[in-house]
Amino acid sequence: SSTQATQSRNAILVSHRQKGNPLLKHIRNVRWAFADVVCDYLIGQNSCALYLSLRYHLLHPDYLYYRIRELQKNFKLRIVLCHVDVEDVVKPLLEVTKTALLHDCTLLCAWSLEECGRYLETIKVYENKPADLIQGQMDTDYISRLTHALTTVRHVNKTDVVTLGSTFGSLSHIMDASMEDLARCPGIGERKVKRLYDTFHDPFKRVV
Amino acid sequence: MVLEFHQHVIAELLEEPAGGLVILSSGLSLPKLISSLLLLHSPSQGTLLLLSSSPSLKSQITHHLTPHAPLLPSEITAELTANQRHSLYSSGQIFFVTPRILIVDLLTHKIPTSNLAGLIILNTHTLSENSTETFICRIVKSFNRKAYIRAFSDKPTAMVSGFAKTERIMKSLFVRKLHLWPRFQVNVSEELERNPPVVVDIRVPMTKYMAGIQKAILEVMDACLKEMRKTNKVDVEDLTVENGLFKSFDEILRRQLDPIWHMLGKKTKQLVSDLKTLRKLLDYLVRYDAVSYLKYLNTLRVSESFRSVWIFAESSYKIFDYAKKRVYRFTRAGGVKLNEQSKSITGKKRKLKRVDNNGDEDGGSSSTSTDGGVVLEEILEEAPKWKVLREVLEEIEEERQRQASSRKEFLLEGEENDHSIVLVACKDECSCMQLEDCIRNGSQKVMREEWEKYLLSKVELRGVQTSSKKKKPKEPKGYGILDGAVPVTPAQNSEASSVSKQEHDALLAAASEIRNRGKVDDVAGDNPETYDGSKGHGKARGKGRNKKRAASVQHSGNKDNKNYNKAETKDEPEIAPSGNEGPADDIHSGAVGCSSEGMPESAFVENGVLWKHNQKMDATQLKDSKPLPHVHFYALESDQPILDVLKPSAIVVYHPDVRFVREIEVYKAENPSMKLKVYFLFYEESTEVQKFEASIRRENGAFESLIRQKSLMMIPIDQDGHCLGFNSSSEAQATSSQNAVTRKAGGRKEAEKEMQVIVDMREFMSSLPNVLHQRGMRIIPVILEVGDYILSPLICVERKSIQDLFTSFTSGRLYHQVETMVRYYRIPVLLIEFSQDKSFSFQSASDIGDDVTPNNIISKLSLLVLHFPRLRIIWSRSLHATAEIFSSLKANQDEPDEAKAIRVGVPSEEGIVENDVRAENYNTSAVEFLRRLPGVTDSNYRSIMDGCNSLAELALLPVERLAELMGGQKAAQTLRDFLDAKYPTLL
Repeated sequence: SSTQATQSRNAILVSHRQKGNPLLKHIRNVRWAFADVVCDYLIGQNSCALYLSLRYHLLHPDYLYYRIRELQKNFKLRIVLCHVDVEDVVKPLLEVTKTALLHDCTLLCAWSLEECGRYLETIKVYENKPADLIQGQMDTDYISRLTHALTTVRHVNKTDVVTLGSTFGSLSHIMDASMEDLARCPGIGERKVKRLYDTFHDPFKRVV
Repeated sequence: MVLEFHQHVIAELLEEPAGGLVILSSGLSLPKLISSLLLLHSPSQGTLLLLSSSPSLKSQITHHLTPHAPLLPSEITAELTANQRHSLYSSGQIFFVTPRILIVDLLTHKIPTSNLAGLIILNTHTLSENSTETFICRIVKSFNRKAYIRAFSDKPTAMVSGFAKTERIMKSLFVRKLHLWPRFQVNVSEELERNPPVVVDIRVPMTKYMAGIQKAILEVMDACLKEMRKTNKVDVEDLTVENGLFKSFDEILRRQLDPIWHMLGKKTKQLVSDLKTLRKLLDYLVRYDAVSYLKYLNTLRVSESFRSVWIFAESSYKIFDYAKKRVYRFTRAGGVKLNEQSKSITGKKRKLKRVDNNGDEDGGSSSTSTDGGVVLEEILEEAPKWKVLREVLEEIEEERQRQASSRKEFLLEGEENDHSIVLVACKDECSCMQLEDCIRNGSQKVMREEWEKYLLSKVELRGVQTSSKKKKPKEPKGYGILDGAVPVTPAQNSEASSVSKQEHDALLAAASEIRNRGKVDDVAGDNPETYDGSKGHGKARGKGRNKKRAASVQHSGNKDNKNYNKAETKDEPEIAPSGNEGPADDIHSGAVGCSSEGMPESAFVENGVLWKHNQKMDATQLKDSKPLPHVHFYALESDQPILDVLKPSAIVVYHPDVRFVREIEVYKAENPSMKLKVYFLFYEESTEVQKFEASIRRENGAFESLIRQKSLMMIPIDQDGHCLGFNSSSEAQATSSQNAVTRKAGGRKEAEKEMQVIVDMREFMSSLPNVLHQRGMRIIPVILEVGDYILSPLICVERKSIQDLFTSFTSGRLYHQVETMVRYYRIPVLLIEFSQDKSFSFQSASDIGDDVTPNNIISKLSLLVLHFPRLRIIWSRSLHATAEIFSSLKANQDEPDEAKAIRVGVPSEEGIVENDVRAENYNTSAVEFLRRLPGVTDSNYRSIMDGCNSLAELALLPVERLAELMGGQKAAQTLRDFLDAKYPTLL
């Protein structure tokens, strides 16, 4: 049974309601299995998805609302996967957008079943992936990394980084510097000194 | 002096007090027209604002108004405080202002609108229906019905670029009258043709190779256009070679492709950039000298990606081949004699040998290779126009001489001086400099210098090889290779690669020769003391030769044209003495010549716009005569009121341009008594001619279409009433409540309370604030630290157009924007806004592919959603759909608080960020800092925070302890190394 459990953890669990949805044909890069779940697709422990075709929505405008209500508050990420399969989208999409937004759902639009399937696959595959991919490439040389870190402190600019670096010699010395030492650096005024010092010396957690 | 037709334009415009749109042909001096209009302004009418002016237009208007100082418009900038701006707005003066500043001031009621005389909008062709300018007009009109709006454009072709563009712009600017002033309009043509300048149209034949290259480029272009047609993405009608010649072609493509850019295949994108490259190649063919052209082609070959379509087209080979043949070719030593020059080639033959003496660089000297190998023969084809330009200048000069001598008796010298400037107009500043050099130093020298630069850049590309050469300057290694590699009797065409290698080696050898020579000179120049005697002597000899050469060129120059002397510049100190060797009076007479022109000259040198070249008289020949005219080189790109300043009597249009031609016509019409001779230099049967003629045709076509449109235009008579109050907006609201979800609002009209949206100032570049305002929402512009639009105390929206979305995913900007939004707002929203007239999707089903790939937009969005489960996404079909969604979302939310929104994300003095859900518990900047350190990841930063108190403490932890906290030796070592890394010392 433990293998079954891991299997189900590695697979998307699909509600029986989705039986016959041609979308299932397009989930190929991850495993999926039918199961008794409230949502349409249980992607991970904390994430689930509801599938909605806009054409269906036009016929049953209340459907989405009731489905969302069923989910209750059990998931961190609740996706409404909206298949845009009508020409005149503005009105139905407005309704779907509003319903999803006001009921804590993330709306994803897809224009084909392939795309719908790919969203489900990707969310499963990337379940534990760090966000590096969308955090932008950063130069990996020492100066850029140092600048990147030090400029988190408000108002500290590149010039200040050079000043600090050449005055103290290394990051650990900068972090260990006294307020006086910091204040001696040209271009670093009183407020910047305080901000830097507080960043380094105030505890990570204010209230323990 | 005001032109008659300008007076007509103004009179017609003033007839209609509400304002109007004036479109005139390009070059009909829009700045002058505006200035004359501004002269009619009096402060009692109220303040007049000039909108969306380009810097060059601004400077020209200022130039024309300088004599009328009190009316001189100043500029309202963001640096002025609100109070200062307010007093300026009430002063009744004329001001330049940017739309962004103006709209914000209007929305925040910083402008006393009742005191506004009107708006003048320049560059109307750059507007669209939803531009900020239209927003401004609507607000101004709603507060002050009497304010006039006068719009101008001198780019008629741009006014017809979309469907009924002019009509739609007029409607949105609340302007009813359209005034068209084409060049062919009766008043205009009558006035300009009354005293036309003398025009000499010179058709210069292109060289064989130039024609060959042009033909090849056009063929490739046609092939690319055919490919483009196959993609079915662009209107076929637009895809013609003639269109492809113009810059506006890019715009045509962009307008159609931009909204679907993310959906285009790599090939289509490549085609777009290829077409651009090809147009550049055509343009440069008539602008650059042969060597620079070849150089450009070579860099293209290196930088173009392997995907590039055109490089592999059949005819491209010819482009490269001919371009090379214009510069050099290879022959077999002892083979065919090549002393006979082909008709078009003016350069001279030069063979390579091992040279270590300096003097052999003299243009035209040839040295034979000692070994029987491949011989590099320089051709250095000159641009045919160069010679013609010289001839034209000579001709002008001769004529001057004749006239001067015949009129001498009854004309004062000073008068003659005023009219004696020759203006040479070319496209860009680079050609200006080169032409000036040509006239001064002779075209051969220019070509030689370019060639040497070219060879040197070749050497630089091969740093390794040259470094070995540095040690033995007398025996260039490249040459040794050449000797070895080339058999005495090479098999004809046996191996193409070996031939190209030989070529390459020969080029390198030539390059290293020049380089070594340069080196010797450099060393001599830098530290002459350390230089030993014999070499110093050699250097001196070299100098002597230089002098001789300069002198001989001077003589030959004198032979060609008695009146041209070589002027010397400071850049060439070695040559300077040779000038001094000549008659000393030369310089004095030159100085006399300068003094009369001193004023305008210095003014323009400061601007860096003009290169001026004094053609000094050869004093030995005509000691008693007056100084000879100056040649000015003017770059058309710099857009200065050059004609009015310099008052030239002869103009050589080196690169013909319709706009400049019209400017000449206007200039002549303003100065009917002046004698003006204009020379046009065209390459015969070139795209240059084609382009010139086509641009006139296109403009006429544009006007014809505008005339047609004008007759059919449907502009409501009561344009004013249309915008008064909030007629349009309440109408829009009625429709919105129809569409809104009726569950909550129960169909109740929302119009009772005015909806408010807080908008970031930077968002006024987009049209959404305008559309929201049209819907009747109140727009509150502020500077926001977090988000673009604040709809309610809970809802914060970051808007991304499709293009923005893709770029900000790549840069990581979106991630950080979302991160801060999530931190400060309960409902953070990403708005993905599609373009109305393009397809509503990211990609077609067939483009999705079989696997999950990291670069697909689906993957990026999924990742974003996974990391920010609280982020809400709005998918909007268009601007108007967005406005509708906004108002429906706001329906049962509180109005946002302006003061609060401004403070969000801005830390207060204590370092605690207001509203930050984490701020009370965490030292946020320390946490942020920590997470940016190498080795620290999403998964281990929490345990680090648990295990140590502060960053300062962290800095002292030994690597073992770090490894415990970070759950890994490697990560700990990375962090420790980073913390202890020595900061590189500054030099």
